[in-house]
Amino acid sequence: MITTLLVSSLALSGAAVAPQPSFAVRAAAVHLADGTTLEDGVLWVENGTIRAVGRGVEPPAGTPFIEHDGALSAGIVAAHTHMGGGDGLQDSTRAFLPEARVLHAFEPKHSDFERALAAGITTAVLAPRETNVAGGRIAVVKTSGGTVLERDGHLHLSLHTTALWGWREPTSWPGALAHLERRLEEREGPFAEIASGERSVIIEAWDRHEVSRALEFATSHGLRGALRGGHRAGELARRVRSSGLSMIVGPFAPGEDREHLRSVVALAEAGVPLAFGLDAPASDPEALRLSAALCVREGLEPQTAWRALTSTAAQVAGVADRVGSLERGLDADFVLWSGPPLELTSRVEAVYIGGELVFGGAR
Amino acid sequence: MIVCLGLIALSSLAQESTALFVRADRILVQPGEETTGAVLIENGIIVAVGPGVAAPEGAREISGAVVCAGYLDAWSSLGVEPASVRDGKTSPATSVLDGLDLFSNDHLRLDSLESGVTALRIQSGVEAEVGGLSAVVRNDPGQDGPGAVLMEDACVAATIGVTRNGKTVDVFDRVDEVDDIADLVEAGLAYRESWLDYEEKLAEWEKEIAEKEEELEKDFKKAKKKRDEDIEEAEEKGKEHKEKKYKEDKKPKRPRTDTDKETMARVGSGEIPLVVEVHRYPEIRELLDRTESFDRLRLILAGATEAKPFADELAMRRIPVIVWPTPMGVTRPDEFRMHDLELAATLDDAGVQVLFGSGGHGAARDLPALAALAVGHGLDRTAAFEALTLGPARSFDVAQRIGSVERGKDADLLVLDGDPLDVATRARFVILRGEVVVER
Repeated sequence: MITTLLVSSLALSGAAVAPQPSFAVRAAAVHLADGTTLEDGVLWVENGTIRAVGRGVEPPAGTPFIEHDGALSAGIVAAHTHMGGGDGLQDSTRAFLPEARVLHAFEPKHSDFERALAAGITTAVLAPRETNVAGGRIAVVKTSGGTVLERDGHLHLSLHTTALWGWREPTSWPGALAHLERRLEEREGPFAEIASGERSVIIEAWDRHEVSRALEFATSHGLRGALRGGHRAGELARRVRSSGLSMIVGPFAPGEDREHLRSVVALAEAGVPLAFGLDAPASDPEALRLSAALCVREGLEPQTAWRALTSTAAQVAGVADRVGSLERGLDADFVLWSGPPLELTSRVEAVYIGGELVFGGAR
Repeated sequence: MIVCLGLIALSSLAQESTALFVRADRILVQPGEETTGAVLIENGIIVAVGPGVAAPEGAREISGAVVCAGYLDAWSSLGVEPASVRDGKTSPATSVLDGLDLFSNDHLRLDSLESGVTALRIQSGVEAEVGGLSAVVRNDPGQDGPGAVLMEDACVAATIGVTRNGKTVDVFDRVDEVDDIADLVEAGLAYRESWLDYEEKLAEWEKEIAEKEEELEKDFKKAKKKRDEDIEEAEEKGKEHKEKKYKEDKKPKRPRTDTDKETMARVGSGEIPLVVEVHRYPEIRELLDRTESFDRLRLILAGATEAKPFADELAMRRIPVIVWPTPMGVTRPDEFRMHDLELAATLDDAGVQVLFGSGGHGAARDLPALAALAVGHGLDRTAAFEALTLGPARSFDVAQRIGSVERGKDADLLVLDGDPLDVATRARFVILRGEVVVER
């Protein structure tokens, strides 16, 4: 209900539509990245970035104020998606495309991004599909305005069974690993960069044996980054933790195998940094928050679930210096909700990116 | 029906339950009505609700933040043997209870029970046009308690999927399937008409026979004499004697018994509802057009992915809709492609009775979370709670037994540690007919 949005200054109509050099929002509850909540907190935005956030924040007199009787949080970061990519993110003839950049498939006006905004997602990692052993380099983008946070990000690898096709090399695990080992000896290029730790990786590994294989591969080469999947990694939680790798989990569907949810809880308890990701282009962005909710129902700490949707997701994507938290100096990407953001009953009422209203608000 | 007999036989083994006294900060009596105090249960039945209720001596006492009715999943196949669920050759009179498998998916049933789903409307034959008779059953973990079946013929369920046996069904075929279903209703009504007609004619005939017999009885000698004369005359003329024809020779023909048609007659006359899973605009349009003349039919739509434009018409014709409020593309992508999470809100705003169903046998566990998601997409909280409880109980004619916390109803209740729609809320106790079956 955007009737709850009351602009108290003179710049009434302008505040909600045009970007303001400086404005502030006072919300009944401000949800911070660490899981704590500020009652009647104030977020002060200046030139598209966060100038201050807190309870006693007092912008200069005359700064337009937006009063919101619900919750305010950082925008959600989807740690792994194929948004706007369609089938163009899957190379069916070559298994190794380390030079590929997913950014080339980025289409800012794609409807996937509009739907993401409506779900409170302000940043999305664009990743290749899991069908290529080395699918290329991820991009990190904002879901509105075409802003690119990372053009040439983590190298995306896949040790998921779908990367082994019957009619193209490699067709076996030993074949895939032998090829990867060979590439890691290269002196320059993306493989050299991941071997030296200069560049992070995301490795698709879903089933237990895939996770085990990916862990062994990553730790023996000192790779850093994240695993993508981990449906049945619960038993391996401590190994994942000691590898230093994060885990990008989800999306989880209604009726999801409880072992997948328990695996997330076990990973969290072992201290593995978690982030939530989406699936093929068809999956609804709302599946991200639903996934977090299903994990909470299974016993995941709500604070951990919330961080996995925001600050940890931004860290995993390598963009925590720009988004994922409500902190001074970060981009003013935030969401006004009707209630606590983790509650599925809460509605997205307005979304701001870089201090600009991009969804909801005045309707 | 073997299963039912089994249940009845087992009922004698049930233990007599003692009184249960449930104290709660909030008692959600029924959608839109709340009280506080306690609920007293005796012999599986709610006997008192409210602030003044005291615990009788010897009663077990439990407490929690919220007490409410257990949820009824309006669209499930949980506990049905998988091959029966997918059966493509069922017919209207096929009973889902014949396909129950007491041992299948018991972990899923327990999961859904723990999340508060205490009853399910189960169906089979989803690959067939008409899957047959659905039942409303209690989500009893072993299905072995007495009264596990709340309504053995809750409705007839039909499916107009976008895919069948893994193949796409094109729009013309889907519209044809709607016509087939409407034809079945018509044939059912004609069948009942033919029986009524037969019974009427039979009664008429019997009456005439009786009259004739009476007449013959009276003038027996005269009639015999007349017959003898006739025989004599025929002999003289060298002709064969023709016996006089009596009404008895023209007894009305009894129609063939057809249980499928009889079942569809019950549907057509509104004795039991007809649930049609239907997703796309053209077949929803056709279904509404073809059923308009059946003024007693109780139609319920399921799925209804593209039903938004029909909201007002559905409200006017009082056709409830079973919504599966899941993010699109998550499961059965063809049927739920372009599924809009605001569907439930749009229908409810127009005045349509919304019911929630999990659309498949594994997802019942997450029905409360999905109900919350529908609220996050505009649905009124009370309507969402109703769609989980009293709404489906009413639509499937079991509201006199379950669906609310009222005196005289079966004690199928939840004791929750928070609001039913909050994400972290858990059922501390689940009570089936007064017995605590989940406790944690």
